Amino acid sequence: MPVQYNILDKGFKNIRQNGQITGFQVAVRDAYYRGIYLPIIDSFEVTIDGQTFAGDQVKCKFRDNIYTQKDLQNHPNERWQWLEPCTLMVAKPGGLKPGFHDVKVVVKERISYMPVIPAVRTFTAKLALVA
Amino acid sequence: MEMTRKAFIQTLAGAAAAASIPISSASESTPAPAAATKMKLGATVYSYGADIRSGSMTLEDCIADIADMGGEGIEILGEAHVPDYPNPSEKWVAQWFGWMEKYKVKPSGYDTFVDSMFYSNRMLTTDEAAERLAVDFKLANRLGFKALRQQWPPYPADNKADEINAPYVKSKQAMETIMKALPAAEKYDVRMGIELHSPTQLKSGFVDSILEVIAKTKTKHFGFCPDFSAFVRRPQRRTLAGLVQQGARKNIIDYIASAYEQRLGPEKTVAEVKKMGGNEIELRYAGIAGVYHLSNNDPKDLAPLVPYVYHVHAKFYEITDALREYSIPYEEILPVLDKGGYTGYLSSEYEGPREDHTTSAAIRAHHAMCRSILGITA
Repeated sequence: MPVQYNILDKGFKNIRQNGQITGFQVAVRDAYYRGIYLPIIDSFEVTIDGQTFAGDQVKCKFRDNIYTQKDLQNHPNERWQWLEPCTLMVAKPGGLKPGFHDVKVVVKERISYMPVIPAVRTFTAKLALVA
Repeated sequence: MEMTRKAFIQTLAGAAAAASIPISSASESTPAPAAATKMKLGATVYSYGADIRSGSMTLEDCIADIADMGGEGIEILGEAHVPDYPNPSEKWVAQWFGWMEKYKVKPSGYDTFVDSMFYSNRMLTTDEAAERLAVDFKLANRLGFKALRQQWPPYPADNKADEINAPYVKSKQAMETIMKALPAAEKYDVRMGIELHSPTQLKSGFVDSILEVIAKTKTKHFGFCPDFSAFVRRPQRRTLAGLVQQGARKNIIDYIASAYEQRLGPEKTVAEVKKMGGNEIELRYAGIAGVYHLSNNDPKDLAPLVPYVYHVHAKFYEITDALREYSIPYEEILPVLDKGGYTGYLSSEYEGPREDHTTSAAIRAHHAMCRSILGITA
């Protein structure tokens, strides 16, 4: 696959809680040329090996803070800083098997000056999950 | 010539000693502008986005590169280039000024945005928008900036018919935001240069509404930042090539390009392309108002605005081997600014194919072009 900078290898792993695998996480960097305040994010959607997760199934982590997508509206002074990762935490009991997975992330943002609102960006990558 | 080893070493020492004597008081001959113009050259770090993203350049590397090509002004986006925006550490701010000193450059312009569609369920009020701008003004001041590339706040147009030029429209809420932000601009000693970016029409109610306010208030903190995308004579070559790759036919694309050059307008162009049997891609391109059809302003129309210009986005896409911008008539635009008395920065803003390791060469060609047009020889 061609070099891409948006879906990161680092951070791609299953999520373990109380000894169970409850989901998986994948980190993304935006393709926009500046960072944005959290409420400007309209939505994240993750498709893994053809299965799509959206809304309450996908939480987002910026630095040390985890938010539901709806809750982003309530944090008008927190940011997705430029070139920093957002870790998407997807609820999927059992998580993913070790090995290659096709990942697609669709990010929608309300960029006020653009002719199309929201701006929609789609990132794809083939990632390798270790555990 | 044969010589003893001792003699050979002595010649090397002699050569080294001679080389260490400086040939001038300047350590390296970096081109400095002569008195041909009072305008100054610089660049916006925005141009280097691909290089920074890939990790091949840091912010400091970009500053060093701009200085190395003889640029004097550094433009940044607070929301991209300042770590922990809007509150960088004192240590970082000290380092910023250290870079200005080390590379002998100055902060030229700071870019602000107004995210009117901040929330999913409502727009920012003009009070909220002005408060957020004040945060940027404070940071710009903290970093030594005096001029801003200020985005015209994207609020609905007063006249629906103007929406084709959105967001560069006469708008009560946009103007209200600016007026509410004006006291903060004065307090933090920054000048809001409203960016005149495509699809701005220079002869419009939008620009007139700004001139009216400037005339009425005599403010020195609100004016313009022309972006040369507003003077595109013909589409970029790579745009047309890309369309052909996507399935557009060359004859139709060539027609659309000529319609643009003649300022035919989107409705007439779409009608004509329909007659020609245009496919989806061709029709869509024919109809793009905005960053295309309505951005062919006459550089002469910039003249009345120059007294209120605080910063300039010297936008460019492709510099030809003849050192001209393929789409934008720099040789017509730069004299308007110069003769109009503009003494600020021409900030190179590269929007060609920004790929890693290609930006520096592009900006250098741009500077070479500007220098040749302005008669800067040193």
